[in-house]
Amino acid sequence: MRRFALKVAWGLLTLPLLLGAQNTGTTTLSVAVGPEAALTVNTATTTLATASTTFGTPFTGTTNLTYFIRTTKTGGTGSITLKVTSDFAGTGGPSVTTPPSTGDALTYTCTVSAPGTACTGAQTASTAAATAFGTWGAAANSVKAGNSASVAWSLTDDPVYATGTYTATTTFTISAL
Amino acid sequence: MAKTNQILRGSSCWLLWLVLAIVPRTYGATGAGTQTLTATINPIGSISVPGSTNLTTSMTTFQPFTGALVLSYRARTTPAGAGTITMTVTSDFTPAGGPSAASGDLTYVCSGATLGTACSGTQKASPTTQTPVVALPASSCTGGGGACSTPDPNSVNLIFNLTDSPAYGTGSYSAKVTFTISST
Repeated sequence: MRRFALKVAWGLLTLPLLLGAQNTGTTTLSVAVGPEAALTVNTATTTLATASTTFGTPFTGTTNLTYFIRTTKTGGTGSITLKVTSDFAGTGGPSVTTPPSTGDALTYTCTVSAPGTACTGAQTASTAAATAFGTWGAAANSVKAGNSASVAWSLTDDPVYATGTYTATTTFTISAL
Repeated sequence: MAKTNQILRGSSCWLLWLVLAIVPRTYGATGAGTQTLTATINPIGSISVPGSTNLTTSMTTFQPFTGALVLSYRARTTPAGAGTITMTVTSDFTPAGGPSAASGDLTYVCSGATLGTACSGTQKASPTTQTPVVALPASSCTGGGGACSTPDPNSVNLIFNLTDSPAYGTGSYSAKVTFTISST
């Protein structure tokens, strides 16, 4: 009986040698995930147009964006703003900085899909300051592919504008804490 | 008197024994013996990795987290054998709400194996499958140069890449990755 037990023990000891050797090592991968934000402007050029020829309807157009956001779980916030970084070029046309007539303006309304909150009502775009577009609270996460948002523009159609094509540049800024 | 004789006889016996024992050594003797030393060299492998690897990103715009790891190993394979170093995610990222290797968020590339061939292309780390790191050919051995590698231990570089999804909750997450070296 003892001899049999010894044979079994020897067999178990030599089994790994017959089958080959194996060894392992383990590492822990650690990552700290912080608040982040990014956006993509899907409509690189937004054409403002009007179907009216009687000055009754402003020039309108829509800019579509995709936003990516992650805010801190506790106390986190996020926001997106826009600013006209380059006013309409050319003389005699519309102007954000110095509108030719009282009441002329480039205004916009916002649409921001959940978990964001869009700005309320019509906002007047400015070259001097960033204006509201959308906000997020704590623990806000977009999906991996991003969430949608859009800006609906409205530009007064003032008869004093000289005919021609005018271009302005608007910059969106998104941030997260 | 009788007792004295007995002592002398006893001393003579010891003296005779001492002389007989010393004489052969005094006059020299030769002999030969052989012993066979047998060493069975078996395939073997050992592995060493850092206890932890940090994955970081310098961006705040959802660029991937990356981290580098140097894996050290020693190996010996038989002329008819081979070897592998593989890895598996033995514990996925915790806590919940963050990245997930099971969802394919963790990938890696291998390079610079000083013995054998590093894995090629981008590998997707898996908690269910052993994925390749290094392939060791037959008759591989670590150290000493010649037929074996010069470096001792051998090493291979791994760069991990973790998707930075906005869907992750903020916080710290960790996962365990186990490397296995096998040789035959």
